[in-house]
Amino acid sequence: MIDPAAGPFLFDTSAEGWLARKDNRDAATWLRRYLRLHAIAVSAITVTERVRGYSILWRRSVPEVRTRIEAARVAYLNQLGLVRVLPVDSAVAVVAGEIIALVAEPPTPPRRSHRLAESRQDRLVRWRFDGLIAATALVAGMPLIHNNAADFEAIRSAIERTPERFPDLGPLELIRCSLLA
Amino acid sequence: MAHKPDTLKRRTTLTLPADSLLRAQKIANSRRVNLSTVIAEVIAAGLQFESAKQRTDQILDNYRKAFSGFSADEQAILDGVMLEPAATHRPRRPK
Repeated sequence: MIDPAAGPFLFDTSAEGWLARKDNRDAATWLRRYLRLHAIAVSAITVTERVRGYSILWRRSVPEVRTRIEAARVAYLNQLGLVRVLPVDSAVAVVAGEIIALVAEPPTPPRRSHRLAESRQDRLVRWRFDGLIAATALVAGMPLIHNNAADFEAIRSAIERTPERFPDLGPLELIRCSLLA
Repeated sequence: MAHKPDTLKRRTTLTLPADSLLRAQKIANSRRVNLSTVIAEVIAAGLQFESAKQRTDQILDNYRKAFSGFSADEQAILDGVMLEPAATHRPRRPK
């Protein structure tokens, strides 16, 4: 188990969702202990991904369902006043550019479910968002908590292979959600 | 001269458990400060803890409202995975 006192951590989009939905007493206890010591920190990119998600669900829904989605979106927006949102500033943009150039293609294919699929274009967008989130963690010097090992391990390995492109930064410290509790 | 709000003090009477009061008095004696100083520090720490607890409860409540009631596919979309209805490929008819 990861000691909450070892934070603060940056929470990837996948990790924030995992912790918020996890129907597990240990995970809830871990989050409570963490919140006593630190604020939840997320990248501005996570906010973009999340709000884009609410917007797409809202557009695809019938009017009766839209009210529920809008209520969830408002709860998420209220949350933004209580968490720390790290910006994509010039330093993050420079490091993200290096990461995206280093690993141009996503390491795994687009995601599929029973009847739905992610387009190649959206997979590439998500991969570049991951590069921006990893860059945010590197620049902030914060370990990144994630539930997306395939993408972030690929980024971590690439950074380790070319440390000269990331002077005074790194390595990218990764923590899987499953290790939290 | 105007006082800053955070330096204002008020006298009041409190009824406290005797053992807590005794422990506070011992701390005051050991630090060579008066009892009021120790009680004020303890109250400030308690209020800070209560404020952090309320903030934590608010964050957890917001997360519950923001993420509950969605299917697995909808949760994936909220996590940035833009799933769309998969294109169905019909086999071509032979000419």
